[in-house]
Amino acid sequence: MSLDRLAVRLRSIVGEDGVADDAGTLLAYECDGYTLERAAPELVVLPRTPAETAAVLRVLAEQKIPFVPRGAGTGLAGGTLPVGAPVMVCTSRLRAIESIDLRNRRLVAQAGVVNLWISRAVQDAGLFYAPDPSSQGACTLGGNVAENSGGPHTLKYGVTVNHVLGVELVLPSGEIVALGGAAEDRPGLDLVGLVVGSEGTLGVTTRATLRLTRSPEACRTLLAVFDSVDAASEAVSGIISAGIVPAALEMMDRLILQAVEAAFHAGLPVDAGAVLIIEIDGPAAGLEPQADSAAAVCRRHGAREVRVARDEAERALLWKARKRAFGAVGRLAPNYCTQDGVVPRSRLPEIVREIAAVAERHHLRIGNVFHAGDGNIHPVVLFDERDAEEVRHVIEAGHEILAACVALGGSLSGEHGIGVEKMSQMPLLFSPDDLRAMTRLRAVFDPEERANPHKLFPDAKVCVEVRTPRRRAAL
Amino acid sequence: MIGAGPTAALATALGANTLSPAGAEDHVDGIRAELVVRPRSPEAVRQAVEVAAAHGLLLVASGRGRHLDMGAPPARCDLLLRLDLLDRVLEHRAEDLTVTVEAGCTLADLDRRLAAAGQWLPIDPPSPGETTVGGAIAAHLAGPLRASQGTVRDLLLGIETVSGEGRIVRGGGKVVKNVAGYDLPRLHVGALGSLGVILSATLKTRPRPPVERAIETWCTTPRAACDLALDIRDAAEPFWLELVSGDGGPATAVLAAWAGIAEEAGDGVARGLRAVARAGRDGREVPDAAGRRAELAGFALQPAAAILRVSTLPDRTGAALEAIAAAAHAAGAGVSLAAHAASGIARAAVFDEGCVPTILCALRRRDDDPDASHIVERATPAAKRRLTGEADPWGAPGAAAALARGVKHALDPAGILATGRLAGGL
Repeated sequence: MSLDRLAVRLRSIVGEDGVADDAGTLLAYECDGYTLERAAPELVVLPRTPAETAAVLRVLAEQKIPFVPRGAGTGLAGGTLPVGAPVMVCTSRLRAIESIDLRNRRLVAQAGVVNLWISRAVQDAGLFYAPDPSSQGACTLGGNVAENSGGPHTLKYGVTVNHVLGVELVLPSGEIVALGGAAEDRPGLDLVGLVVGSEGTLGVTTRATLRLTRSPEACRTLLAVFDSVDAASEAVSGIISAGIVPAALEMMDRLILQAVEAAFHAGLPVDAGAVLIIEIDGPAAGLEPQADSAAAVCRRHGAREVRVARDEAERALLWKARKRAFGAVGRLAPNYCTQDGVVPRSRLPEIVREIAAVAERHHLRIGNVFHAGDGNIHPVVLFDERDAEEVRHVIEAGHEILAACVALGGSLSGEHGIGVEKMSQMPLLFSPDDLRAMTRLRAVFDPEERANPHKLFPDAKVCVEVRTPRRRAAL
Repeated sequence: MIGAGPTAALATALGANTLSPAGAEDHVDGIRAELVVRPRSPEAVRQAVEVAAAHGLLLVASGRGRHLDMGAPPARCDLLLRLDLLDRVLEHRAEDLTVTVEAGCTLADLDRRLAAAGQWLPIDPPSPGETTVGGAIAAHLAGPLRASQGTVRDLLLGIETVSGEGRIVRGGGKVVKNVAGYDLPRLHVGALGSLGVILSATLKTRPRPPVERAIETWCTTPRAACDLALDIRDAAEPFWLELVSGDGGPATAVLAAWAGIAEEAGDGVARGLRAVARAGRDGREVPDAAGRRAELAGFALQPAAAILRVSTLPDRTGAALEAIAAAAHAAGAGVSLAAHAASGIARAAVFDEGCVPTILCALRRRDDDPDASHIVERATPAAKRRLTGEADPWGAPGAAAALARGVKHALDPAGILATGRLAGGL
């Protein structure tokens, strides 16, 4: 079937405005938040409902056409880069929150619902949806399910898989399967757990049943200022050892602090080596003693200053500074790319030293934002995309940092996924037998390997063209 | 019968002292094992599975055998693999809140180790002294703590298994946040060892709360108790929240607890008691909250013909208990009832073997709760023999049965691991 005829057929399902096949529009889909590699799809289809999504996938199945599922395109590992898949299936128009059950703390939402809308929909009832990736104002539930997204508050509250009870998945064949459901502990294998984090390689998630969490009654947000990343890291371990599990425990290093301060004027010390944002939440009754204890630990580890946010406005400013840290860095260089690796949290000082060494080797500037409580690092590499040589160094530096994470007992990704960016490094983490088990599982759902092909698993056939990008992706 | 060839191959690979003929106790749901294998190392487990695969022997892996009465009976049990000798705590990284432990380590032993650092693994299945880490994962065992701490599914970070082909397959990792590759660890939760023999696991640990306090009140019906329990939950997020009706009776106890530093626990108790008073009931604090919790966890292991489990939404837990009581009454059977109210998990201990299928089918025929599932969680071998057809322990395989079959085949192509134990005969 020619592309034109396919477009006609798909328009009959999703409406005239639901298919994009002109070069200008397709350009917007040539990359996600990972901008180092680009490829535009030949056609983008945007179904309006789960049923239309299934109908679209049935057409693609009939024609044996590979496809890439996509939400809002905020992914940071190139998971939605079309590689050998001409069609992109975008779930961003599946925007309905279908049901809310406050008493049982359940919510059913379609894949295109933006993460933050979920918490907004239930905040008046004192509930929220716990996973809160930094892109939560834009990223969608379908993408969160695909990537098993986290966020700063995962230390206490867990990641997406801990809050998804059911998913409706459209298999590459076009068949709709309901996995899990509103009740806990349904009989049968935990296929929900398998689908969450499968990066769109098992099908397209169209709906999910979510567990809502009670909003903490109160919280204390502390800012602790340190002269070095080492001292701040030791304070992190000290806080955990003191038996405190903060809701969030975030670190920013000097380069990031300077960028953030220039952008948001949050009153951050630009001469500090590192700051920790420590958030402790829960019943009001227990907060003061825990906050005092965390502050004391920080001072004991050399914090030169510990500030407590006096009110919600101060707290909001701190979080704005943290969550938009990546964007703020954009002021320092024409381009930047965010890495995502994990180390045991006790190895943070070592990985930071390693990152500094990598930066020096490649003559790059690298700032660091961490979910320190989780050992989840986000080095931010600054570069100029017009300099092809520098782009090459950026990619190499990223690989070296991830290899160092694995060598320290960590992982290639804490929350962004493998995508195209890290698939070649999967053998660092997994044996051929491990990977074979995974690819066999994939074949159960997608025997023709048409759902997001050439992702996640090392694949000798793939050679993504790395070329000079034309524009910066929106974050 | 296992031939001399496979036995010799096992003896050569593992050493003769690892094998023993099965005794009267060595059975799974009354299916007698032929040979008991007690490997001393992960590699020996792998070799045992490899030999089993080569000779088409069906095996069931077990820790201390305390929970083998769960699931459907296996098709056969040529080898019973006892993993209790793999009991090392491999690495406890207190500052990382992680522990890596071999499958045969009991929860009680692990707890002693973690307690030394002021931490714990916040799950509380019944009989921790006879429950291994591998068993807790494979059988997805949980207790009252699931209300606030989730289950082992939420704590599992990484796993090492032997596939049905005798290969070591690892998933996840040792760090608390990790999205590299498919989530193999969670797939093994509740799979009863049918997708791999679990060798070791890495789990999240948590600081052990210094104080735990509980309150108790009574309501005249399970529904009223369920409503009050959820009101208590909304008044102050509890550490655990249970309903109990020991004689299956309409009178139902609500127990709720709070934990943390003294201020937190005290605040919870005060708010909980206020919620009870608002409902016009009398509430009181009970002594030894942790001991009471262990008792409640033990409900699932009490001597009974069968333990039925209904999973539904939290606010239907009371109705679920009433439905069980009605079905039991109609069948003329005695039952004891309990529920994890915040999780929507209701259980009934049924004491009359002959009535189990009747009660189960009566519950399944009700159409007032589309979200509910009804299973026989445990049963004596005699009771299980009656669980066929409509009274299958798991019920009809769901819409995802074909995918489940594919997953089983992907990880155990020859179908030698605990085959028959899962829903749909997998």
